Amino acid sequence: MNYFDEEEYKDSKFDLAVWRKIFSYMAPLKKHLFIGIGAAVTLATIDTIYPLINRYAIDNIINTGSLELLPWFIAFYIVIIFMIGFLVYTFIMHAGQVQQKLSFILREKAFKKLHELPFSYYDKTPVGWIMARMTSDSRRLSEILSWGLIDLSWGLLTMIGITIVVFIINWKLALILMAMLPLLVYLSIYFRTKILRAYRKIRKENSKITGAYNEGITGAKTTKTLVLEEENYQDFDRLTSSMRRHSVRAAMFAGLYFPSILFVASVTTAIVMYYGGTMALDYNELLGIGISVGTLYLFLNYIGQFFDPVMQLANILARLQQAQASAERIMGLIETEPEIWDTPEVIEKYGDAITFKRENWEELHGDVTFENVTFKYNKGETVLSNFNLDVKAGQSIALVGHTGAGKSTIVNLICRFYEPTEGRILIDGKDYKDRSLGWLHDNLGYVLQSPHLFSGTIMENIRYGNPNVPDEKVYEAAKLIEAHDFIVEFDDGYQTEVGEGGSRLSVGQKQLISFARALLANPRILILDEATSSVDTQTEKLIQRAIEIVLEGRTTFIVAHRLSTITSSDRILVLDDGKVLESGNHTELIAKQGHYYKLYTNQFKSMALEESKNG
Amino acid sequence: MSTKVLQKKKRVNRWYQFTKWMKGNWHLYFVAVSLLIALQYLRTLTPLFLQYVVNTVVNGEQSELPMFIQNMLLADTLQKQLVLVGLVYVLFAFIRVVIMFIRRLTNALFTENVAYNMRNTLYSKLQSLSFSYHTHAETGDLIQRCTTDVETYRVFVGEQLIEIFRLVFLIGFAIYQMIRISPMMTVYSTIVTPFIFTAAVLYFLKVKKHFKEVEEAEGKMTTTLQESVTGIRVVKAFAKEQYEIEKFEKDSKIFLAKDFHLLKLMAIFWGGSDFINFIQYALAIVFGIIMATNGDISAGDFMTFLMYIGMIVWPLRQLGRIVGDLGKTSVALDRLDEIVLKDSEHLNDSTNTPEIIGKVEFRNVGFQFEDDHKPLLKDINFTVNKGETVAIVGKTGSGKSTLINLMVRLLDNQEGQILFDDNDIKNINKKHLRQHVGIIMQEPFLYSRTLYDNIRIMDKKAPQEKVYQAASVASLHEDVLGFESGYETIVGERGVTLSGGQKQRVAIARMLLDAKPVLIFDDSLSAVDTETDIQIRNALNQHWKDTTVFIITHRITTAMEADKIIVLDKGHIVEMGTHNSLLKEQGIYNELWQIQSNVEYDYKKLNKGEN
Repeated sequence: MNYFDEEEYKDSKFDLAVWRKIFSYMAPLKKHLFIGIGAAVTLATIDTIYPLINRYAIDNIINTGSLELLPWFIAFYIVIIFMIGFLVYTFIMHAGQVQQKLSFILREKAFKKLHELPFSYYDKTPVGWIMARMTSDSRRLSEILSWGLIDLSWGLLTMIGITIVVFIINWKLALILMAMLPLLVYLSIYFRTKILRAYRKIRKENSKITGAYNEGITGAKTTKTLVLEEENYQDFDRLTSSMRRHSVRAAMFAGLYFPSILFVASVTTAIVMYYGGTMALDYNELLGIGISVGTLYLFLNYIGQFFDPVMQLANILARLQQAQASAERIMGLIETEPEIWDTPEVIEKYGDAITFKRENWEELHGDVTFENVTFKYNKGETVLSNFNLDVKAGQSIALVGHTGAGKSTIVNLICRFYEPTEGRILIDGKDYKDRSLGWLHDNLGYVLQSPHLFSGTIMENIRYGNPNVPDEKVYEAAKLIEAHDFIVEFDDGYQTEVGEGGSRLSVGQKQLISFARALLANPRILILDEATSSVDTQTEKLIQRAIEIVLEGRTTFIVAHRLSTITSSDRILVLDDGKVLESGNHTELIAKQGHYYKLYTNQFKSMALEESKNG
Repeated sequence: MSTKVLQKKKRVNRWYQFTKWMKGNWHLYFVAVSLLIALQYLRTLTPLFLQYVVNTVVNGEQSELPMFIQNMLLADTLQKQLVLVGLVYVLFAFIRVVIMFIRRLTNALFTENVAYNMRNTLYSKLQSLSFSYHTHAETGDLIQRCTTDVETYRVFVGEQLIEIFRLVFLIGFAIYQMIRISPMMTVYSTIVTPFIFTAAVLYFLKVKKHFKEVEEAEGKMTTTLQESVTGIRVVKAFAKEQYEIEKFEKDSKIFLAKDFHLLKLMAIFWGGSDFINFIQYALAIVFGIIMATNGDISAGDFMTFLMYIGMIVWPLRQLGRIVGDLGKTSVALDRLDEIVLKDSEHLNDSTNTPEIIGKVEFRNVGFQFEDDHKPLLKDINFTVNKGETVAIVGKTGSGKSTLINLMVRLLDNQEGQILFDDNDIKNINKKHLRQHVGIIMQEPFLYSRTLYDNIRIMDKKAPQEKVYQAASVASLHEDVLGFESGYETIVGERGVTLSGGQKQRVAIARMLLDAKPVLIFDDSLSAVDTETDIQIRNALNQHWKDTTVFIITHRITTAMEADKIIVLDKGHIVEMGTHNSLLKEQGIYNELWQIQSNVEYDYKKLNKGEN
């Protein structure tokens, strides 16, 4: 289940440019749209004509007392029935397809864009925000552009059709009918907007309540131990009370809407009954005075047929404002230009981040060089300035330092999640911007501090994205990492479903699987963001061993938190404020008795204290 | 008991299950339904106005209104009668509209009251359910029940059931009015309708399965999307963009295909049912024309019938749709009952609130989950005096957390006794116990409010200085001042995500606001660095001298300072004593000490030794 916050919708001004772009996406759906509109318009025409037939029956068959015309009448009726059945079917099929296919197109475009966007985009954009655009916004937009548009054309045509017919038949009665129109439109738009706003509020309240349940459930243990049940309940009651208040308020508007429309229609009906009745009293066909009974029926019937489209139109107009906001948000996502993207020349030769031209790829050895690299976040402070680093293929480099020292930035730059503001990063002696993102990432492995697994089996997770890898290879990787033992202990072994985000496994297990995944991918450059989360000593030992194994034969960068894991690194960089304070291997740095020595011994400070006491 | 009685009992339970949520709001429902029925009757009167106008006024038949009323209302001419009909019609419409509004309002009041009660009942139930319930329950599933299932019931009583009432009475009254005009014509006007109804019911029963499939396909697609977005770092680092796009495209296409199939079924149904409905119209019209031409009914009657048919065929289709769609509600109610009928952990709880000073004793304590074959704890014996510090060490799964959970009765020991100052824990009121025994968890939960409120949650009257002081002791104050909004930073699910260490320190600060005789750290310093760990413990030693402290830890450096160290393994106490005495035992503690204390420890060697 996903819960996405209902964001604030501003009723924005009509923006033609946004709609024009959206319509360009609808080009392949033109056929469906036109057929749908065609069917709706024909239906509207039939709706207008249909009461005319009944009037004809009343005036020319019943009132003349001759059944001579009846067979013709029946034949005509049968044709109409078949047409209605067919048109309704066509209308639904095509309007529905416009909706389904448009949201398919939007999803597809947005999803592709999401994978083109650089990492920095995700630093700034909450997942909920993206999900809202991909789900509720695209749904809202495609609904209004399919059913909405087609309903709109049906409603407009029904109104126009009825208007024309009534004016032809009797302009005096037609004027009465027309007189109610502005009032109907006004009431409809007034209430629709009110109701829509009220529901928006309710949805917001609702997502707050969902959040409160979530908090109540996930925080149950804390609540119990702190004995906060009563207070939490009070808070919750405030939410549900407010929800009740808003819901009743919304229901009040909705409850006023239909009755008020009905009343307007009833007054019109009363006037038509009186006025039309009077005219029917004076009816004389030969003299052309008054109206027939059939005509009276016709007008009363049209009143009923008139308010449906008006209410429909008001509904669509009210929703259109919201759809505009949705359209802006989706377009905002689809049109975002990726800040990091290969040049056309590079794409020409190597392909881009999504489609590869492997045949042109050079082998990556793993030499990494930072050449006078300076890096600034978009509007932020300088994180690195004039940074230089030279790493030979196969070396392991440990990055040590406080939060904000620049460890993650260096890693992100190597991965080309960010690019240097100044200076160059060379891989195998060549600026990495001269080769494609796909080339780099295909040769790169990444093991995260908080491992991320995808739903699916353990097997699928280890062989992530490479369905052709034989099972034996997967077992081999898992055995090397020593994950095999715990995996086969599950009832389903490698076919065990890990759950959404790997929720059915422990952190330690997820960590080991992500190592196996990295090992199987066999990257030339490996990034390890070492785990800080507390795992027990046994699992920690397993993970350390796993690290040793994946390091072998690759260029490795380890962001280290626990210094005991990096003692065997070829080089340790102690960073502070984007600068290298010290560099060297463990023994050298310990001997130096500098920053590293201090950090290292700090981790055992309390023990040292105790020892000195004993001594 | 005979099966008949059993069946009856079950039926009664269903009725109770269904109606219990309406408790206290029956009067509103009664009003809403009564008004609704009245409204349907009024609605079936409207065509009679047209009938009157056409028959009496225009075609000059005998007026049905008694003469004296006509005279009284000065409706002695046809013209005046038309005015009268018009005025009455407006008045009639006005009454209808007013009732309609009151009906809708009462209905909303009823529905919202019911939903409000349900939400609150569920929330307080969830909070009072035992800890073991919560460890086994899935959050997503529970939330789904509290939201979707509540909504299902709300829609059922407030909309679907009301709609069924409305349609049944509308159809019933319409048929009644028709029969009064012409029984024969009524037959022609309703002959196809049973078919319409049956077709709609059958169709919606059948299509339910497809709705579910579409929902599932959409759910799967959304999951793929969400996982891909949250795991974007992995996707990018493994260069698997193309793979993810294809995976999503596959899910998206499956969803599209299922949705399209459903659309086709829908189009067939709506097109087909419109076709059948119009056949009903056509039949009525043809026979109506014949009867009217033969003089069996008047032209006004004929027109009236056309209006009544509209009150039957469309509502019948709608009714069939609702009936076919039912059944969801009882599933939802069953799921809700699974929560509501569970016993609260405070049921039958002791009301004793003895003073808790700080002596803790375990006597032969054992614990086992009902569905487990192995006990989690067995034969646990130890005594801790007021003011002492006890460290508990052991591997994951050795029973440390279970032991702690027993101490605040998040779980209840089946064997032996736990005594606080010589009172058996089972004779102490749970809330009272928890108010005096503080636990700081490894992964503490922060509520979605400001940092300040999160700390002050334990003592809403605490002055600002006290909050700051607690934060300082917990080494949190500096961190907080570094945040853009300081203490006003919103944390929790909807706020800023704090690091594990920061969360632990917030939990410590909040516990420090209020002195407790017993304090338990459930590995709650694991994510803070060693320096801060020492700092916090020093501060605690100063401020909380009289408090009995339990510390679960992986860090031997933390354990070694305790007055007593308990080593757990597989649910048993395997070693107990001070740091120095345990080192001599050459057991697990000594091994852990060796692993962690050796500054130049080379773990490769150790591996070889093990192998």
